[in-house]
Amino acid sequence: MFNIERSGEEHRNLTYKDKNCVGCGICVEVCPTESLRLGPRVPIARGLIEMDLVSINENSCVFCGLCSLACPFDSLSLTVDGIDIKNIDSYPVWDVESGINDEECIYCGRCYSICPRDSILFERKLPDPADLVRGEIDIDSNQCIYCSFCAEMCPTGAIAIKNIPASSSDLVNNSIEVDVSKCVFCGICKKICPENAVREICSTCMLWDEIQPPVIRGEAIISEESCVYCSWCSEICPVDAITITKPFDGKLELIESDEKICRGDSCHACRDVCQCRAVEIVDGKSVTNLDFCNLCGACVTACPQDIRILSRTAMKLNNINSESWNEILNTLLIGK
Amino acid sequence: MAVKIDSDLCGHIENCPVQGLCIKLCEQGAIIEENGDVAIVPENCDDCDLCIQNCPNQAISKA
Repeated sequence: MFNIERSGEEHRNLTYKDKNCVGCGICVEVCPTESLRLGPRVPIARGLIEMDLVSINENSCVFCGLCSLACPFDSLSLTVDGIDIKNIDSYPVWDVESGINDEECIYCGRCYSICPRDSILFERKLPDPADLVRGEIDIDSNQCIYCSFCAEMCPTGAIAIKNIPASSSDLVNNSIEVDVSKCVFCGICKKICPENAVREICSTCMLWDEIQPPVIRGEAIISEESCVYCSWCSEICPVDAITITKPFDGKLELIESDEKICRGDSCHACRDVCQCRAVEIVDGKSVTNLDFCNLCGACVTACPQDIRILSRTAMKLNNINSESWNEILNTLLIGK
Repeated sequence: MAVKIDSDLCGHIENCPVQGLCIKLCEQGAIIEENGDVAIVPENCDDCDLCIQNCPNQAISKA
């Protein structure tokens, strides 16, 4: 965190929030006065050194604000006479988005559990089973493949599956049971079942029209403060309620040579600095899952072998009106 | 191939900003503390170069 200011004809103030920062170094690259410095990311990521990822030379900074606009993660803000330049029409803006559609969300909480940055605020209120018309959940054992999706998704933990097989159905050793006393008849199991094996018996009752369908209320919000657009949440969401727009299009490759080889087991610097949990070490080599990568490039410069090749072919930074800023900001598109 | 440490540049644990960062970073046990100073165990080195890149004094290089 730093907060510097200077007054002249205008009052300008630049703030940096370490909480949002992924250590990508984009701000350092675009700074026209070389006033920003990236700290030792690997020791910081491993907790060996406690310091901010980015530091500034207050004396050489000209308060232009280019760093704050180039940062896709909103770690830096420049205000001019109290107004953040991100809110001024003539300045560039990132058209990135991370949001959860309330109408689609079933408040299962998977996004909340998986988020590598703890960026999702989640709350769920289940109906009281005692207030509900009781029914039955019937699972067709001929159709059930014991995949356990329903048990994982059930908000009240009412479904118990024994002996989950690796593949196909094994009727002798498997069982699935629903504890109806816990069930709130939300129907998530039915919705999620890939084999259509779940039936809510109450739905065949003659008085079905008169029964109010139970409602699960809740709130699931992605905090823009710390979201880095990795899209774990949108990938895991069973009802496609989450939209994540990533800041860049492109790819990241590991290109080894005779002299430069990935020593994933000894080094794993890439995995340690990745804020998206997109990097794994598999059989001693670094493997990046591009579905979860935001192409920030933190791992590229953290790699001591310099064998991670990043290319960004497009970015969501729009409304660049100045020719010189356009030139500098377009340097973010590398290997295009 | 391992690495070597330039004794003039090295902070020798005591004067290292992180009191032996290379020792803490190396998970192969190729850089160890010996008699209060930094020592290299070449046979353990995996040539990952993490120490070279992260030494705050740029004291480590390829042997």
